[in-house]
Amino acid sequence: MRVSAVPAALRAAGVDTRHEYQHLFSIYVPIAIGVFAAIVLAMGFALAKYTRRSPEQAARWHEHNPLEGGYAALLTLVVVFLLYLTFTAEHRVDTVANQQQPAVTINVTAAKWEWTFAYPAYGITHRSGTVGSEPLVVPTGEPVRVNLSSLDVIHAFWIPYIRDKHDAIPGSTQVITLSFPRAGTFQGECAEFCGLRHSDMLFNVRAVSPAQFSGWARSGGKAPLP
Amino acid sequence: MRGGAIPLVAWGTILLVLYIVHAIWNGRTVPTIATGFAVLAIYGFGACVWILGRDTLRRGPPAARSEAEAWPSASLGAVMAGLSFACILFGVVWSNFLVYFGGAMLLLSLGRLGVEVRSEYASKRHAQEEMSGR
Amino acid sequence: MSATTAPPPAPAPAPQTQAPRIGGWIGAATSTDHKRIGLNMAACSFVFFLAGGAFALLMRTQLAQPNMQFVSDDTYNQLFTMHGSTMIYLFVTPMAIALAMYLVPLQIGASAVAAPRFALAGFWTWLSGGLVMQSGWLVGDGAGRAGWFSYTPLSNGTNTPGVGQDLWTIGVILAATGMTVMAGCITATIARRRAPGMSLLRMPVFTWTELVSMLMVVGSFPVLILAMALLYLDRHGGHIYSGFNGSIDYQDLFWFFGHPVVYVMFFPYLGAAAEAIATSSRKRWFGYVPFVGSIMMFAALSMAVWSHHMFTTGGVTNQYFAFTSTLLVVPAGIEYFDAVATMIGGSLVLRASMLFGIAFFVQFLIGGLSGIFIASPVLDYHAEDSYIIVAHFHYTLFAGSVFGFFAGVYHWFPKVTGAHLREGLGKLHLALLMIGTNVTFFPMFFLGEYGMSRRISRYSTHPGWGTTNLIETIGAGVIALAILAFLANVAVSLRRRIPAGEDPWEGHTLEWATSSPPPAYNFVRPLPPIHSYAPLLDLRHEAEDRAREAAGGGVGA
Repeated sequence: MRVSAVPAALRAAGVDTRHEYQHLFSIYVPIAIGVFAAIVLAMGFALAKYTRRSPEQAARWHEHNPLEGGYAALLTLVVVFLLYLTFTAEHRVDTVANQQQPAVTINVTAAKWEWTFAYPAYGITHRSGTVGSEPLVVPTGEPVRVNLSSLDVIHAFWIPYIRDKHDAIPGSTQVITLSFPRAGTFQGECAEFCGLRHSDMLFNVRAVSPAQFSGWARSGGKAPLP
Repeated sequence: MRGGAIPLVAWGTILLVLYIVHAIWNGRTVPTIATGFAVLAIYGFGACVWILGRDTLRRGPPAARSEAEAWPSASLGAVMAGLSFACILFGVVWSNFLVYFGGAMLLLSLGRLGVEVRSEYASKRHAQEEMSGR
Repeated sequence: MSATTAPPPAPAPAPQTQAPRIGGWIGAATSTDHKRIGLNMAACSFVFFLAGGAFALLMRTQLAQPNMQFVSDDTYNQLFTMHGSTMIYLFVTPMAIALAMYLVPLQIGASAVAAPRFALAGFWTWLSGGLVMQSGWLVGDGAGRAGWFSYTPLSNGTNTPGVGQDLWTIGVILAATGMTVMAGCITATIARRRAPGMSLLRMPVFTWTELVSMLMVVGSFPVLILAMALLYLDRHGGHIYSGFNGSIDYQDLFWFFGHPVVYVMFFPYLGAAAEAIATSSRKRWFGYVPFVGSIMMFAALSMAVWSHHMFTTGGVTNQYFAFTSTLLVVPAGIEYFDAVATMIGGSLVLRASMLFGIAFFVQFLIGGLSGIFIASPVLDYHAEDSYIIVAHFHYTLFAGSVFGFFAGVYHWFPKVTGAHLREGLGKLHLALLMIGTNVTFFPMFFLGEYGMSRRISRYSTHPGWGTTNLIETIGAGVIALAILAFLANVAVSLRRRIPAGEDPWEGHTLEWATSSPPPAYNFVRPLPPIHSYAPLLDLRHEAEDRAREAAGGGVGA
């Protein structure tokens, strides 16, 4: 079997935002922990070694520009590395994903305080109901195009499981492409404060296999889900 | 007062570079106007400092001052001015009466400030005459 | 014979203020003495801090368990709006200005702040703004409740009608106007009122941090004032922020202010912690010139990152702001290098101010590192508006700046009042505050990662959420105890005074070369010669060197 040069996150299955997040997370967080540990150790060393000395023992040196310059250069390299990682990931999530041919297009409209999911290709329109009784149904492993908009104030469409969130801003449609790596039921919520019942603006996501999704969609959204 | 305008001009220039890159890369109108304002505000402040003393762009420590200086110890006019401005805006929410009242108080406080500043100049002149007479 | 210098004789008690003063409340309210203005602003800011903290305790009570309804949803929305607004517009930012107003003229050897009447008028405008904002609690539909950033269209007249939100908007305009005017005065003071010999690169570290902060105020706060004035018009019939572009424009204008303000809320407390650490390490601050360069860069970058708050809108060029935001690693790294290098080789005294300063650096680091995390748009698409963000900014602003603030308080209290704060109570205050802060805010990183949204008044049952929130609420209670310990310390220290004298810590900078508290117009005797950013330390070193040479011929340390 040929080893593909296309990263796992991209191969025909849509851009897997959960994977992209976890990949960056697995680099950013250890670096952060390392930096934190280094500073704490350095300060701990200073506290251990330089306390309880007499005042005249305090050194008088107070600068070393070549050392600091070298340190700044090292930090710049770290920045370049982090920017490379983040720009390439963002390119995949924002640009490449939207260039893929979607398996289904869903119009998600937010309004105080519930979500409307419309599947124009199948003539289905469901309202989530505040505190989410009707789920957003999506196929696994395929690009899902979402046209995100709002009827009143800014809301935000967040599905924590796939580590992705985008704002629904009235007067525009934000086009995003999601991908669900596995089947299951996931929580979704509004993540932009939108007034009195913002806490209740929740919804569920049912990710099912492409065949099951087809069956559900062709029935006009009435067939029971597994 | 040597050097006083240098941080303003230097910082304004760093902002200018960042904002030129911003204008090319992000290019939206409203933020470009905001960034333009920030650069003008900082350069403008620097220009005011420079106008008040041409050596403020020269490096080096400030020299000693020998002329008399006048400093207030209290200012009723300043307190009134601050409160009147607040009264006007508070009146925008509540009632036109407060707007007019605040406006009148602002005029009175500006008058009072004029009195205070004039008397400060008078006492400074007096002190300078004493110093040169000595 | 020992090479140690004899301690200086105990100074005479500080003289009463020399200039004739109007007495009592009128005198305190109308005084143009920068120290009085600074103290007034600091006192008012601290009262607002207690109010904002009370709002937080009510919020944390509601969130302690799932599905609680301790207060109504509408009240909760007012509480979190006013908690954020009070802490930002009425505590941390104005306290930074108050510290500058009091300390900068002393540190640069000036006798007064430039344009003192403007400074005084600015203080009263700011205070009026704070009172106007809080007056919303007294009106029928309650206080402002569209969040401290008041996004449109939520904050417009259709979606949040009512006078409470109007009062909030006007309150912000007044507070920001007052602070901008005061920042102008401090900048002018640094520009034009430094003592002879004090070139820019001999100004103390704290003064530099205040200078860049005041520059950010002057450059960005007017944009907030404009944004809020237009919002007020929008709420009353004007169609200012319409449609998608209107919403994005509002956010651009707001965050153009909203990002620099958080650095205004950081740098002065970094400066205070730096002064405390350097003094208590008996070494001048390391790497002064790179430090000055890096804070100038840091402050400039902070004016160029604002749309990282808007990554999820789809309306800005994420890459530019990810670039400028990630670049912040470089100046931040330089500052940490300097802090560590100041301590190494020193002779450390572990007094309360030093410990608060170290706690500032360690805890702020968690906030800063989480900031680099969310500077990446792909990571921010998950973290934005979740408890990851709440954890991030509480680590920078509370675990960071508030600890830096207390470092400054313990360091400068003797100068301001002439009395020492109690060390024992100070260490109790620190311990309680560290425990409370980390117990409250660290678990929030996990809650956010697992999907808890910010600004929700209730949450339903999720595995672990109830327990974690309960732990955080207990932590908030511990924070309250810590603040009580601090207030007790202040009360005891002022009632049963331990006189502090002019220079209890062997300070480095000019404020320690005058009485405690300083007299009107600050300095009655000639200033010491200024050859560096630590003039008093220079004098001490020269005296040590002379004593050593007199004792036995110049064998150096």
